[in-house]
Amino acid sequence: MARIRFENVEKKYANGFHAVKDLNLDIQDKEFLVLLGPSGCGKSTTLNMIAGLEEVSDGRLMFDDMLVNYTPPHKRDVAMVFQSYALYPHKTVYDNIAFGLQMRKAPRDEIDRRVRDAAQKLEIAHLLDRRPSQLSGGQRQRVALGRAMVREPSVFLMDEPLSNLDAALRISMRAEIKELHQAMQTTFVYVTHDQAEALTLADRIVVMRDGVVQQVGSPDDIYERPQNTFVASFLGNPPINYIDGTIEVTDSSTARFVRGDLALTLTEATARKLADCNGREVRLGIRAEDVDETAQGGEGSVIRGKVNSVLPVGSDQFLGFDFYGEELFFRVGKDLSHRLGDDVALSVDLNRLHVFDKDSGKTLIW
Amino acid sequence: MRRLFGYEERSAALFLAPVMAVLMGVAVFPILYSLYLSFFRIKLTRPNRTPFVWFDNYTDLFTNDLFWVSVARTVTFSVVSVSAIAVIALLVALLLNQDFRGRRILSTILLVPWAIPYVANALMWKWIYDSGYGALNGILYQMDFIDKYMIWLGDQEKTIFLIANAFVWKEVPLATILLLVSLKSIPSDLYQAARVDGASVWQRFVHVTLPAMKPGFMLVMIYETMMAIRHFDLFFILTEGGPGDASHVLSWHIYVETFRNLSFGSGAAMSYVLALVTFALSYTFIRTLGRKV
Ligand SMILES: Nc1ncnc2c1ncn2[C@@H]1O[C@H](COP(=O)(O)OP(=O)(O)OP(=O)(O)O)[C@@H](O)[C@H]1O
Ligand SMILES: [Mg+2]
Repeated sequence: MARIRFENVEKKYANGFHAVKDLNLDIQDKEFLVLLGPSGCGKSTTLNMIAGLEEVSDGRLMFDDMLVNYTPPHKRDVAMVFQSYALYPHKTVYDNIAFGLQMRKAPRDEIDRRVRDAAQKLEIAHLLDRRPSQLSGGQRQRVALGRAMVREPSVFLMDEPLSNLDAALRISMRAEIKELHQAMQTTFVYVTHDQAEALTLADRIVVMRDGVVQQVGSPDDIYERPQNTFVASFLGNPPINYIDGTIEVTDSSTARFVRGDLALTLTEATARKLADCNGREVRLGIRAEDVDETAQGGEGSVIRGKVNSVLPVGSDQFLGFDFYGEELFFRVGKDLSHRLGDDVALSVDLNRLHVFDKDSGKTLIW
Repeated sequence: MRRLFGYEERSAALFLAPVMAVLMGVAVFPILYSLYLSFFRIKLTRPNRTPFVWFDNYTDLFTNDLFWVSVARTVTFSVVSVSAIAVIALLVALLLNQDFRGRRILSTILLVPWAIPYVANALMWKWIYDSGYGALNGILYQMDFIDKYMIWLGDQEKTIFLIANAFVWKEVPLATILLLVSLKSIPSDLYQAARVDGASVWQRFVHVTLPAMKPGFMLVMIYETMMAIRHFDLFFILTEGGPGDASHVLSWHIYVETFRNLSFGSGAAMSYVLALVTFALSYTFIRTLGRKV
C-alpha cells in the first residue's frame, strides 16, 4: 500500500542547478505512473527523490501521509531498476537477486524460495549460477527486474529500464512489465523519454520539461488534449504540424482559422471556446495522421500544397508537404502514389484540431 | 614472388634496429652473460683461475647460512612493507575518493615521495633517523616520548622495520594512485542499488568497493612485492646490512658477495635465484588473486 505525494517539492543540486521546480503530484496506490520528458528534464531526479537517493531541497514528500524527506532508501520499502541495470558484477545472478533480502536478514529458505520463484517467472532459472558479464542485455534486464521483484516492495521504481535493449525486445518487455504490474499490485513509477513506451504502459503520464511539470493525465488526455505546444510536439510520430494564422469569429458558434488561402472551419465546440478571440494570432496544430487524402470533406477542411518528400514506412507513408515555405508532414495510406512536385489536396479532420496561443504556446480549447 | 615481409614490415624493422641493438647491448647481453658467469667460479682476487663448475654456485648457496639469514630478512622486510603499503594506500585512496575541500592540494602533496629518487629518499631518512641530529629524535624528545636521543638504526630489533617504514613512505603514492583508479571506475549506480537494497556503509564497502578493487589490488601486490624483495638502496645507504646481520637482505647479500668478496660467479648465481623467486611470486599472485575478477 503506497500513495506518494509531492507537495511543492524543489530540487537544487549542490552546484546550484535547479533540477525540479515546484513539483505537486499525487501518485495513487497501485497506479502505473510514467514520467516522460526529454533528456535532462529532471525525470531521474524526481525518481531518485522517491527512492531517497537524492535529498528533497524544499517542500514535502509524503508516503501515505508520512513525511519521508529524511527517510533513508532502505526504510522506504521501494525497489528500483536502473537504466544500466547496476548488477553487482562479481556476484552470481542468484546472489544479485537475493542481495536485497540478505541485507534485510530474511530467513534463508524464504530467500531461496522467492529467488527461485522470481527466476521462474522471468524465465532465467537456468542462469542463476552465471555472472552478469555472461548474460545478454535482455537477460541482465530480467535479473534487474528479479532483484526488484523479490523484495515485494510497495513502490516499484524504474529508470529507463528498456533503453539499452534492441527494438524488438523492447516491445516484448513492455508487455511483460505491464503484466508484472498487474501481477504485483503495487505502485509503479516509470521513467522514460520514449513516448510509445509511455502511451502503452501508463495509467497516467507526467510530462516534464526543464524541471517543470507540463501536464498530468491519462495517455488519451496527453495525446488528444495537449495543454501546450511542448506536450503536443513531444508525442506523435511524425510530430504534430503547426500553422500560424488568425481566428475569424463570425458568431458565437462559428469561427474559421485563416492563413493565406487556407481557411478551415472550426467545429462548433471549438468555436464556442474561441468566441472572444476574433482576429487573434494563433498556432494551429494538426497531427500527422489527422488528414484524409480523398479530400471528401469539401471546402472548409481542405489544405493544399506541393509534395516535397515521400517517405514510405512500411504500413503507410509520410508525405512531406510544402506550405508557405514550411514543411508539414502527414501520414497517408501507402496505396496513394504521389510524386515529388505534385499538387495535393488533403482534407483535415476538423474534430481533431489543436489551437494554441501563439506566444505562450498554451492551449486555447482544452 | 611473395615476400615473407612486405615493405612496411621491412622499413619498420629498419627503424627499430638501432633501439634493438642498444637493448641487446645493455639488457639482453648482460642477462645472458651473467647466466654464463654463474656457471664459473670467478674471484677477481684470482683472475687466472676461473674453472667451469656446473651448478656448484647454486648448490653452494643453499648450504650457506648467511644466505638463509638474508632470505629470512628479505621475507620479513617484504611482508611488513607490502602489507603496510596495501593498507595505507587503501585508506588514502578511500579518503581521496571522497569529495572535500582541499582534496586536490592533498593529492598533489601525496605525490611528492613518488617524485623523489630512491637514493635521495634513503639519504633523507638517514638524516631523519640520525642519532645526533635526526628529526625523529628531535620530535620524540620534544614531545617527551623519549628522554635521551636514540641510535635508532643501531637497534637490531627495530632496524628492519625502520627501513620498511622509509620504503613504505616512498611507495604509498604510486600504490594509492593505482587503487584510486579502480575506485573511480566503480559506477555510482552500483552504490545506489546497494543503498536501495538496504546495504549499510560497511556492507557497501564489502560488496561493491572491495570486489571492484581486486584488479588494482593485485597490481599493487605484485608490483610492490617485486620492488620490496629486490630493494637495495635503503640497505646500502642506511645500514649496510647491519647492525650485525639485522638488515642483511638478499640484495645486500648479492652485493657483498659480488663487489666486496669479488666473487662474480656466485653473485651471478644468486641474482638468478632472486630473479626466479620474483617471477614465481608474481606468477602465484596472478594465479590466486586473478582467478575470476
Ligand atoms: N549531481 C548533480 N549535480 C548537478 N546537476 C545535476 C546532477 N544530477 C543531474 N543534474 C542535472 O539535473 C538535470 C536533470 O537531470 P536528470 O538526471 O534528472 O535528467 P533526466 O530527465 O533523467 O534525463 P535523462 O533522460 O538524460 O536521464 C540535468 O540538467 C542534469 O545535468
Ligand atoms: Mg535519467
